[in-house]
Amino acid sequence: MRVGMAITFLWIGILILKSPESWGGYVQPWAVRILPFSVTSALLMTAALDIGIGILLLIDWQSWVAGLLASLHLISVLTVSGITDVTVRDIGLFAGSMVIIIESLPMQIRIYLLKLLKIIKK
Amino acid sequence: MTSQALLFTLSALGISETVYLIKKRLLSQEPVCPVGDNCLAVLGSKYNKTLFIPNDALGLLFYVASAIITAFLVIEIPPLTFWNTAMQIFIIAGSLLSVYFTYLQFRIIKAWCFWCLMSACTIWLMAVIIIVSKIY
Repeated sequence: MRVGMAITFLWIGILILKSPESWGGYVQPWAVRILPFSVTSALLMTAALDIGIGILLLIDWQSWVAGLLASLHLISVLTVSGITDVTVRDIGLFAGSMVIIIESLPMQIRIYLLKLLKIIKK
Repeated sequence: MTSQALLFTLSALGISETVYLIKKRLLSQEPVCPVGDNCLAVLGSKYNKTLFIPNDALGLLFYVASAIITAFLVIEIPPLTFWNTAMQIFIIAGSLLSVYFTYLQFRIIKAWCFWCLMSACTIWLMAVIIIVSKIY
């Protein structure tokens, strides 16, 4: 699943780099208005982020960081693109990135989170 | 575009596979051998280097280069003819080298390595994709 997710992120990053303008249509008008820079610049940054996440997942280095970045990125994608025909695909990718976080989270962070949960329960 | 998507996917698979083998080699760990049990016989043989470069590192270089060239072709970074030719030469060379490595496993080492065969099949599949995309 990690490699499959990596290929998806890398390929989408490359497609955005190919024609960032055409991907601008997916961004909701309200999101365009609040952007501090042009939609093209935002999409180029998105492409760089997608490729970065893809590389981390592909080489299996700090996969949990890549999974965390991917899930945050997908939340922002779901927010700024709204509900469309392909939303279900993004939800699937989001679920996949959550599984990667859970599977590759370092033991120290797991222990810390468990302690935190116990404190919250009390 | 379809052939490029397939070439990129195969290159990415190759990258992940060779990175796994390099990690295992650097950590002196035995790689998982899903089919057969002779992976170490091949990976630890005296043929595991080509021109003093470990074969897994050579494979990684090949896959990274083919992924980058495919990305350049998709994004249409000039000179496209040069990238196209480079990709074809690269894959022909890789395919021939894979034939040699498979021959080594079959006749010389007399053991099969799952990861080596998977890599060879990946490169041959890339060659088939290039040929088919030329025809159609």
